[in-house]
Amino acid sequence: MRTEHRMGRSWRNFFRRSEETTEEGAGVVVEAPEPEGVKASQPVEGASAEAVLEPVAESVTVPPEADEAVAEEDIESGWFGRLRRGLRRSRESFVGQLNAAVAEFRDTEDEEFWERVEEILITSDVGVSTTAKLVAELEQEALEKNITSAEELRKLMIEHATRLLDKPVELDISHKPTVILMVGVNGTGKTTNIGKLVHFLPGNVMLAAGDTFRAAAIEQLQRWGERTGAEVIARERGADSAAVAHEAVEAAKRSGTDVVLIDTAGRLHTKINLMAELEKVKRVIERQMPGAPHEVLLTVDATTGQNGLRQAKLFHEVAGVTGIILTKLDGTAKGGIALAIADELGVPIKLISVGEQIGDLHPFEAREFAEALFGGL
Amino acid sequence: MFDVLGERLNSALAEVRGSGALTEDQVKKVTREIRLALLEADVNYAVVKEFVGNVRERATGAEVSKALSPGQQIVKIVNEELANLMGGTAQKLTFASRSPTVVMLAGLNGHGKTTTAGKLALFVRKMGKNPYLVACDTYRPAAIEQLQQIGKELNVPVYIEGTEPAPEGIAERGVKTASDEGYDFVIVDTAGRQVVDEVMMEELARVRRAVKPHSVLLVLDVVTGQNAVEVAEAFKEYADFDGMVLTKLDGDARGGAALSVVSVTERPVKFASEGEKMGEFDYFYPDRMAGRILGMGDVLTLIEKAESEMDREEAEAQGKKMLAGKFDFEDFLKQMQMIKKMGPLSGLLGMIPGLNKQLQGVDIDDRMLNRVEAIVTSMTLQERRNPKLLQNPSRARRIARGSGTTQQDVQKLVKQFGQMQKMMKQMGKGGLPKRMPRIPFNVK
Repeated sequence: MRTEHRMGRSWRNFFRRSEETTEEGAGVVVEAPEPEGVKASQPVEGASAEAVLEPVAESVTVPPEADEAVAEEDIESGWFGRLRRGLRRSRESFVGQLNAAVAEFRDTEDEEFWERVEEILITSDVGVSTTAKLVAELEQEALEKNITSAEELRKLMIEHATRLLDKPVELDISHKPTVILMVGVNGTGKTTNIGKLVHFLPGNVMLAAGDTFRAAAIEQLQRWGERTGAEVIARERGADSAAVAHEAVEAAKRSGTDVVLIDTAGRLHTKINLMAELEKVKRVIERQMPGAPHEVLLTVDATTGQNGLRQAKLFHEVAGVTGIILTKLDGTAKGGIALAIADELGVPIKLISVGEQIGDLHPFEAREFAEALFGGL
Repeated sequence: MFDVLGERLNSALAEVRGSGALTEDQVKKVTREIRLALLEADVNYAVVKEFVGNVRERATGAEVSKALSPGQQIVKIVNEELANLMGGTAQKLTFASRSPTVVMLAGLNGHGKTTTAGKLALFVRKMGKNPYLVACDTYRPAAIEQLQQIGKELNVPVYIEGTEPAPEGIAERGVKTASDEGYDFVIVDTAGRQVVDEVMMEELARVRRAVKPHSVLLVLDVVTGQNAVEVAEAFKEYADFDGMVLTKLDGDARGGAALSVVSVTERPVKFASEGEKMGEFDYFYPDRMAGRILGMGDVLTLIEKAESEMDREEAEAQGKKMLAGKFDFEDFLKQMQMIKKMGPLSGLLGMIPGLNKQLQGVDIDDRMLNRVEAIVTSMTLQERRNPKLLQNPSRARRIARGSGTTQQDVQKLVKQFGQMQKMMKQMGKGGLPKRMPRIPFNVK
């Protein structure tokens, strides 16, 4: 078990770079405390002021537009604070209940207590099976360790949830070019998060408008290209998505681009023909560049209930998902589906997206997430 | 995982046996599984708690109908309660007495507002309306272009002022323009927003005040989880929506969120959107949703069909006749027609829990039934009542001609029917024949 936990994971170690840069990057635990993610309680004043503290920027080329997002250099508004604020409304009653339950916790055989823990997990969208498993584990360990104090118990709960979620999150961008494929159900935030990701990716980035289906999806990506300065490879609407991907990888190889981000159309995981199309896009990329795509990122909307697990499962089967971006965590949803996905599929959550600003994308930190889930710390 | 739940529910149903009134224990066994099914379907925890409590209360002590097993009886009560909650019948669209009718769409990001705007426009145009779209999503990159492209595709005009002006201003001027130009159905698309973002929610309230819509529809993705309740409450507070559009119904999400929202806000789901094509949009039929949420729509359908189509008394009378060996072709025909009323045989058998797997690969041909029916209806009433007459080859020939089958087919059916009669009679006497004769369904 890891002994060192920080409140926020830095972008600094998030990208696994190519060998020559390894020394300063990959795998090294940075001891300096991160300013982001410090507990915050100030409510935001407005949408424009909702900018979250900018992540550590040394290794990142910040485009000029990002200034909007960095405007508030206030440690009180770290993403964790924002997440907490976001969750506050819905959580108040729960955390209150949990606190009350924990405070009254006397012995591990208190059925009512465990029922409340179950309730908290289920209302966070953790799902029935993972909840049952987690509660059973907790109950047993609490009994074994003869836990009697409320604080110990809460720590135990956070510990278990963390253990479930804690997987390597770093994004492999050590290839040249590194090809990242974005996949997901309609409306989960693929294009938006490509825009955000470009902002944090080191080196030069190219975008491929592979969503040739939805109205104005290409324009949406082009807008992100303008904002971030990334080149956008696009064809007309209705063009073959695989052809766009092919062209982009080709262009990236030629121009010495570091990372190619390929957007795809949103598709329901139940649509067999659309999933076959996705498989084809991936196959075309693979054929063109062995080992690619190096990352396949699935966007999952945090407001999604148990269907998120189905989505992840089927996308994983078809496209070999390497990581999940949990999006729209800025609402009332607690994103408990992440636990179910981590538990049942073992696919790591790599990034979370907490707002509409360009800077609102963050490497996932298991402990932080677990703490937000159980609140009241 | 869904299958696991479905199986658990089915085995719980099978376990609960007996007749007379439902006991507390029986009700408990089944409602425990139903609770899990509802939670797994994303029905809000608090809603489930209340709902299951209600069902328990209503079911305990309830009489078990003769047509159903106790387990099925409980499921039937659950289904009725679900359907009640969701609202019994589809809510039809109403139009303003003074044109134009203004409908405003609101919802979270990515739940399908802009697509819904296009679909709704097409839907009302099919009803003879002249739709007009107003693009008020000034936030998401290219959202306006998206609506524009949809408008172009459908040949519906789109009001656009770009992303600079305040959405409420755009909305107001858009509606006015539509009205001036004689359009009678205006759809105002708004930006997706998160309910914790008070500034954005206030803005939505301002748009609402500016256009005074006749209807505000909350667009909700069917995959929405436990937070659906908070989302709906916030949208009710700021936008006072009067109905919902449930989107992405073509996926495999159970859609428990719909139930949560309806039960907490008392606002019905009005439309169902299921697909990426503009035409895939319709009124919402609440009764269809109940089964989807429970994840056992098939069982429910079977229960309903069995209840409505099978005349209990007649079935009993026939049963007695059968066992007395007096079962004739006339009774046989009645039964066959009863079964046919329940739908295609293959579908019917597939609905029976546990049977579906066994039927895999078995090709059940409904035409078989039709052929048998044709043969029987080609018989005279006398022949039907007295199958012995049919041993006469000229009668068999006549029937074959009348039914478009062969003489062999007719003779085979008559022979098998005779064997069946014998078997029934034996069963009536309490003994089973050593060799079960074939049921006369295999006429080719």
